[in-house]
Amino acid sequence: MNDAKYLLSDVDMARFLVNGYHVVELALPDGLNEQIAEELDALTANPGDAITESVPALWRVVEHPQVRGALISILGEDYTVNSHRHWHCKLPGSGDMQWHQDGTNNRGTTIDRLLGLYYPHTITADMGPTVIVPGTQFRNAPTDRMATYTNIRGQVPLTVRAGTFAITHYDLWHGTASNRSGVKRHMIKFLFNRTRENEAPSWNHDPEALNRARDWGARDKAQDAVNVLAFGNPLGVSQSDHYKERTIRQACWQELLGQRAAN
Amino acid sequence: MDDQAQPRQRLLYLHARTPSVFSDVLGYTLIEPVKGFTVEISGGEFEWPYVSVHDAVVDGWQIVQFPHLQSPFSDTELDILGYEFILQKMEVIP
Repeated sequence: MNDAKYLLSDVDMARFLVNGYHVVELALPDGLNEQIAEELDALTANPGDAITESVPALWRVVEHPQVRGALISILGEDYTVNSHRHWHCKLPGSGDMQWHQDGTNNRGTTIDRLLGLYYPHTITADMGPTVIVPGTQFRNAPTDRMATYTNIRGQVPLTVRAGTFAITHYDLWHGTASNRSGVKRHMIKFLFNRTRENEAPSWNHDPEALNRARDWGARDKAQDAVNVLAFGNPLGVSQSDHYKERTIRQACWQELLGQRAAN
Repeated sequence: MDDQAQPRQRLLYLHARTPSVFSDVLGYTLIEPVKGFTVEISGGEFEWPYVSVHDAVVDGWQIVQFPHLQSPFSDTELDILGYEFILQKMEVIP
C-alpha cells in the first residue's frame, strides 16, 4: 500500500473530474531532474517506447510515491504502467502543435487511462509548453473538429517547475506552443491504465465530504467536493453544456466511489 | 493590375458560448491572407481582441457563416466547444 499521505483528497478528486488534470510537483532527490535532462540532451535519436531503457532514471520518477499516490487515487491500487511512452523533444525554433487528443475518444464514465507528462526542467512560456484546455475531457469531439480553434479562453500553458508531473484525463484537449527559446524542451509522456473497477474509493476519502449542502454563495470557490462537482465550470461554457458535463462528472464520481460495482 | 492592390479575405473564427452574437467568445482564430501565415497556440497570456462576436462586427468584421443549429442534438453528450461564427474583412494587405 502506498503511503496514504500521498493519496488525493476528495476535493483533489473532484477538481480532477471537473478540470481533467492534476499537477504534482515532485520532491525528487537532488540532481535527478538535471541528470535526466542531460541524458535526454545527449540522445541523438528518439527511442520511442524504449526511452526508459535509454534513460532508466525515468523509472524513479514514475515510481515516485507522489506519482503513485495520485495514480492510485484516480485509477485504483492495481493500475499499470502502459508499455507506450514517448519523449517529446521540442527543438528551438519548432512550431506549435495544434489541439488534439492522442487517440479516439474514450467517452464514458469510467476513468480507465491517464496520461502522465513529466518535465525534467523548468518550462517557460517561450519554450513551447504543453497547453491544455480544462474541462474538455468529456467532449465527444474528434481531433479534426478542433482544427479551427487556436486560442481558447481558459487554456492553461503548463509553465511548470523542474520535476513537475502533470496527470491528465486521456481525452483532455491539448496542444503545444512554439519553442522560441534557445533550449530543447523535454517532456516524457507516459500512459497508465486501470485494471479493475473500483469497489471503494481509492483516495483519502471522507464519507462526511458527501454531506455538504450546495453553497450558492461560494459555488465552485467552496473547498468541498460536493460544490466543486456541482458548480465547477472552468471554461465558462453555456448552461446547457454545464448541465451535461455535471451529469457526466457525477456519474464518474459515483463509479469511482464504487457504486457501479455495488449494483 | 498589381495583385497587392486587390482586397484579400481576412478570416476570423470565433467560437461563442451560445448562438447569440452577444455571448462570450471562447475560441479565437485569425487567419491572414499572407503566404506562409500560420496560426499559433499561445504559450503565455493571450490578449483577447473581442469579448463577443458583436464586438468584432462593431470593428468591421462581417459574418459569412453562422453556426448550424439543425445538426443532430443530444441532451446528454457534449461535442465541440461553443458555436462557430466565421467572419471576414476584405482588405488590401500591404
